[in-house]
Amino acid sequence: MSGMETVVEEIIADVDAVLLFSTDQSTYDRFEGDECPTIVVGTDNAVGAEVYVPLPLEFAQTSARVRFGIEGAIDQGLLEEDDEVVGLTQSFSESRLDTAVRVRADEFTHSGVYDLFVNSRADSEVVRDVLEVAIELGRKGQKGKPVGALFVVGDAGKVMNKSRPLSYNPFEKSHVDVGDPIVNVMLKEFSRLDGAFVISDGGKIVSAYRYLEPGAEGVDIPKGLGARHMAGGAITRDTNAVAIVLSESDGMVRAFKAGSLVLELDPEEY
Amino acid sequence: MVNLAEQINDVIWRTTGYHPATGVWVGARVVVDGFWGGTPPRSGRRGLAGVVAATTGGGGGGGFGPWAAGIVGGLLALSVYGVAVLFAFNVAQVFDTSVFWAQVTALLPKLLVAAFAVIVGFIVGDEAELVVQERLRSVKLPEASVLPRLVKYSIYYIAALIALAQVGVATTALLVLLTAYVFGVVLLAAVAFKDLLASGAAGIYLLLNQPYSIGDEVRVDDRRGIVQEMTIFVTHVEADGKEYIIPNSRVFRGGIVRIRE
Repeated sequence: MSGMETVVEEIIADVDAVLLFSTDQSTYDRFEGDECPTIVVGTDNAVGAEVYVPLPLEFAQTSARVRFGIEGAIDQGLLEEDDEVVGLTQSFSESRLDTAVRVRADEFTHSGVYDLFVNSRADSEVVRDVLEVAIELGRKGQKGKPVGALFVVGDAGKVMNKSRPLSYNPFEKSHVDVGDPIVNVMLKEFSRLDGAFVISDGGKIVSAYRYLEPGAEGVDIPKGLGARHMAGGAITRDTNAVAIVLSESDGMVRAFKAGSLVLELDPEEY
Repeated sequence: MVNLAEQINDVIWRTTGYHPATGVWVGARVVVDGFWGGTPPRSGRRGLAGVVAATTGGGGGGGFGPWAAGIVGGLLALSVYGVAVLFAFNVAQVFDTSVFWAQVTALLPKLLVAAFAVIVGFIVGDEAELVVQERLRSVKLPEASVLPRLVKYSIYYIAALIALAQVGVATTALLVLLTAYVFGVVLLAAVAFKDLLASGAAGIYLLLNQPYSIGDEVRVDDRRGIVQEMTIFVTHVEADGKEYIIPNSRVFRGGIVRIRE
């Protein structure tokens, strides 16, 4: 028994902060007043915590959740690079904390995913909604068949000036916003159209069927990705937009910002 | 007439051993229990506090719950009892009730309506408070917490006014106060929301007709740039790292130049 206690004590010894991945009020209250700073990480701040890091998605994998939580905390200046943190989260249970993870804050390479949500031109909720649509589309496909899609989010005025219509814009004079469940269905239906979706900072769907015409010089994206990714990556270099691309061939969702790949997700894992 | 009643009383008294007034009372009980299953008077006795606690505690399922129905049923039952008691007194001829009887028949419906108005006022007031609170939840200003309470007490006030007017209390002064209050609120709102309303009206036209759309280069009052966003109140125009947020009323008044090259 004492052997186990030693191991557990070793895990929690000399930590600089606790990352609490729980939205349970009573659990949070137990941590209040502790010496060690508690950082609440979650998709929403349900417990009204003062120190809070928003998560862009409900990550199913513990490692991904901890990783993005730490990245967010570093970006907010809550953690230093060489801090030791303990993440308390649930891996198997739905409601109860069952996992303690000890990590050094600099264990992961900085991907900039947190930056994608918080420091983008578009509202973070808009980016999140678009990412959710892309993930759902990647998981289910369009009528069971895998599809590709390209969403350009934010800086819509400039994006519109750097692109041209391939056909009539189905969203002309319609005032629809992403995040609305019906609109998400519409987006999925329209995903069989060629070209990109353009979405404004506030989440309004400006256009579908856009052919992007950015200069592709100096775009650094991994080799092997197709024209859709290249167009998405390049438009984010020329404008302040964020591109969210669903690959038709490998089903991955990728996000580009400022011309480089910042996030790669497998839709099957969410 | 009185003689006839006395004779009937005498007959019943002698044959059954019960005074007819007892019969009237028992009849009323049977009627009430038949209609309301005997439960409403019990919930009625829990009083208004019970209703209010139920509506606020239950999170407001919307509309009138079983509590309110119970209260109203209880009130109706009590009024039937009251009439029955008076009728029993009348039959028993304990005292001359004819004058009292006339007054009660005139007052009783009014009292019922007054009580009903108070109950509805309480329920609607609490419900409105909850709705407004929910709406303002994202606003983290301490001042905003005044608003739901203001709405609640305004509704209480109106309910009380209706109830008092029903019972026949002079409410002129209270009515004047209410008028002044409403007038003040309307005036303040009109002054405060003048620009917003003008922008909103212009925004409806702009959004419906879209004389310009996102991506167009435009000029409004010497501000030239690309339209980035259009909402009902404002238009975002961006140029050289500056984003102008222009009220739609201004776009409409000053006109807009679309730049085509």
